[in-house]
Amino acid sequence: MTVAPAAPRLIDRGDLVAALDRAAARRVTIISAPAGSGKTCLLRAWAGRPGQPRRLAVLQVRRGQHDAQQFWLALLGVVRHVTGANSGAELPAATPGFNAPAMAGRVLSELADARGGVTLVIDDLHELTSPEALVQLTRLLVDLPPQVHAVLSTRHDVRLRLHQLRLAGELAEIRAADLRFSERETRELLDASGIALSAAGAALLHQRTEGWAAGLRLAVLSLAGHPDPERFVAEFSGSDRTVAEYLLAEMLDRQPPGVQDLLLRTSLLDRVNGELADLLTGRPGSERILLDLEDANAFVESLDPERTWFRYHHLLADFLRLELRRTLPAEVPALHRRAAGWFTVQGQVVEAIRHTQAAGDWADAARLLADYSFSLTLDGQAQTIQALVRAFPPGADHPELALVRAMGDLVQGRLDEAAAHLAVAEAHVRTAPPDRRRRLQVAVASLQLALARRRGHLAGVLGQVRFLESPVTGQSDEDIALGSDLRAVALMNLGTAEAWALGLPDAERHLREGAVLAREIGRPYLEVGCLAQLGFAYIFHGAARPNIDSFAMTQARCREAIALAERYGWGTEPVIAPALMTLAGTMVWLGEFDEGERWLRRTERALQTDTGPDIRLLLHQTAGILHAGRGRRHEALEEFSAAEHLASQLEGSQALASQVTGWLLATQARLGRPGEARALLAALDDERAGSGELRNARAVICLAEGDPAGALGAVRDVLDGTAPVLGYTTVVEADLLAGLAYRELGDLRAANQAAERALALAEPDRLVLPFAMTGSAQLLEALPRHETAHAALLADILDILHGASPAAKDRSASPPAEELSPGELRVLRYLPTNLSRPEIAGELSVSPNTISAHIRSIYAKLQVRDRSSAVRRARELRLLAAAGRKR
Amino acid sequence: MRGHLPALDHGRMDPAPARYMIRINGHLGATMLSAFPALAPRHHGAHTVLTGLLDQSALYGVLAEVEALGLDLLELRKLTPDRESPETGHHRSP
Repeated sequence: MTVAPAAPRLIDRGDLVAALDRAAARRVTIISAPAGSGKTCLLRAWAGRPGQPRRLAVLQVRRGQHDAQQFWLALLGVVRHVTGANSGAELPAATPGFNAPAMAGRVLSELADARGGVTLVIDDLHELTSPEALVQLTRLLVDLPPQVHAVLSTRHDVRLRLHQLRLAGELAEIRAADLRFSERETRELLDASGIALSAAGAALLHQRTEGWAAGLRLAVLSLAGHPDPERFVAEFSGSDRTVAEYLLAEMLDRQPPGVQDLLLRTSLLDRVNGELADLLTGRPGSERILLDLEDANAFVESLDPERTWFRYHHLLADFLRLELRRTLPAEVPALHRRAAGWFTVQGQVVEAIRHTQAAGDWADAARLLADYSFSLTLDGQAQTIQALVRAFPPGADHPELALVRAMGDLVQGRLDEAAAHLAVAEAHVRTAPPDRRRRLQVAVASLQLALARRRGHLAGVLGQVRFLESPVTGQSDEDIALGSDLRAVALMNLGTAEAWALGLPDAERHLREGAVLAREIGRPYLEVGCLAQLGFAYIFHGAARPNIDSFAMTQARCREAIALAERYGWGTEPVIAPALMTLAGTMVWLGEFDEGERWLRRTERALQTDTGPDIRLLLHQTAGILHAGRGRRHEALEEFSAAEHLASQLEGSQALASQVTGWLLATQARLGRPGEARALLAALDDERAGSGELRNARAVICLAEGDPAGALGAVRDVLDGTAPVLGYTTVVEADLLAGLAYRELGDLRAANQAAERALALAEPDRLVLPFAMTGSAQLLEALPRHETAHAALLADILDILHGASPAAKDRSASPPAEELSPGELRVLRYLPTNLSRPEIAGELSVSPNTISAHIRSIYAKLQVRDRSSAVRRARELRLLAAAGRKR
Repeated sequence: MRGHLPALDHGRMDPAPARYMIRINGHLGATMLSAFPALAPRHHGAHTVLTGLLDQSALYGVLAEVEALGLDLLELRKLTPDRESPETGHHRSP
């Protein structure tokens, strides 16, 4: 088995390397030139030149990279490799809900931590087709830290918005003309490859190829060992055929038949290894041929240090594919089928589906895609799935694809399209073969639940999907694995829907079961998802009646879910948002407004890419109670209005909506607009108007109108337990409103009794928020201390209502020895969160070392020895409060 | 099956197809020509002229192919029905 005997050597293109070196002194360098211009060779020569002072983080973009997440994970990987930072830490795992801005921020912060110069090299950038990834890449390039440079290579100009850099003289470009071989370089290349060609012949070759690097390299391959190089050049020069085709055909012709056959048959693969090549050629020994071709620089290169996987130069691969289709058209589908089979066995589903599509087996491809769509989504390949869906021609569409389309619609928030596609999928279930019916049924029901939840329309759906509780059965291990993925997703969706419909304790049971199954089958994303929703579910469970520390228990569950999410790098991903939000909400209920605000900010970041009305409603509602608790009623009104608007987009009635509406009306009334509130109240149907939350709102309106007796009438049914309430917190609020009404009526004894009842209810959880929202400071102050059994709670609440932090009481707040610097204050405000030091560094875009230095200094100045006592001390000194005031 | 669904993926708003002329440096052989099955080739001097009816997305597909194959694109022109003379390139002025 022989290939071209003399390997052409890459020549030292010193001038060009020097040109790149000069260019790379700018912040960003773009090498933009057509296929075969020698971009990658130049990058390698530059990277490998002696005395290269900078460390290089090199990423080659995968062919047809549609998936922003995979691009960013790969980029983060090469950055970590070169900076050595976090080298012990695992890369964040891919998630179904990817937060691109957060990931770009993470890459930036790790680059910022790199000591010494680093150059980021991104080769084949034109392969990145995700517009979202390009937007974030632009941001990265514009914001590169001073010691970091970037060199990008691309076949055509890509849509990066770099005007700022260009104007600032920070952008350098190397284009096709710069990359062309000079006549002198052409002669050097021939000499280095041991090809004896006259000066005239070399000049002719240079002229014919116009210095095009791939043309020259191909010519050298054919010339090496050619009996008559002069004649070759003369014939080439006399031909009118394009340079690429002439030389590629020559090169292929010069290979022995076995090698030609291997090249042709494997050309339909993006990457090839020996085993796969043996399979496609039907002969052993392929690996040796591939190794020899690479050694001969024959446009074949290995992709790993062990040299097991290879790929062909773009130009060669495209030429070979055309040649294969032209010369062996009948064999192409069979080759794809063989490749698909191999990839399926290897578990490389995406490649398997691609080849099944290429074989024209559309129905099989649709089934594969439908079967694996849940698993692939869990693997964080949602964008890849959608690219695969787009590859189906309209005529070859298959009903099972409707399921896959519905998944994509749901992820993107296109709820109407999702419903239409689900209807098609559901109709197909009835006609599906029995062996597939059950699985399709589960998949459809699972998606219907997710859709219903997002629309807030659960009542009708929950009853129909009881069958999700029982496992999907399957014959093979593969079936069982797929079935487990599907079942865990179904349990998560079922439990989540139940939690949102406030259908406990089923929600708790299903989410727990889902979390356990997810852990068993190694799906941390689902485990995190179930635990996050469990935290959310639990707040209502806990709020049903006062329990010792039920809010604290909820917080513990949320923190547990968040810690698990952080272990996978998902601390600010949409999947953990319910737990972040619930944690923020409980803190607000307990009067810990500053900490609540910090968790709320983090929730906002996690939800950057999620526009679902359900979770946004909660976000506005939590922001609303935070403002209301701090007495900022105008801001609270804005948030409640936004929440109310979202609630109106959710179909059907739900208890959450009553709470939002109640708070909205009460806030309007407290702002002196009881007329508006009353008008809105009158427009509500009887069921909602009769809820405890809206009865309370009516009482607030009456109080604002100077009608305390009306207020007492409004809360009566809440206090005697006949009105439906979302949680006991509504009853606390009703007691306080009754207290305020009695006070107005001059019945101080009854006012004190009402306040005492509210305190008694609030005591187990140490609730503070209802007292703040109702404006009950004077009511509490009037309560004689000897008449209350809850003096400690009362003192705490009054401290908070008067603007002190919960921990400030009973401690002498002596000033610290030394004032904290602005930088230390910024870091200090992250200490109450459970962000780790590197995470705080990421938040503030500084290095972890800087954070550690600040923290040491903070400890010294506050005279404490650990983080929790630092937080306590900072709270005593009111150092954390300032952060709460800036939005 | 998709009749009543919103056409999400194939429903791009293409203008009506039009005839295009694409001039490439050098003569394309059988292999390279097989990349452009929708276009009729003709050699014109040292160039290859490809013509055919393309909509916008097909046109961009052809251009991507030209780029991928490392071909030297010399000219791209939309042919209006009244002056369809890609060979000469000169117009019959009114």
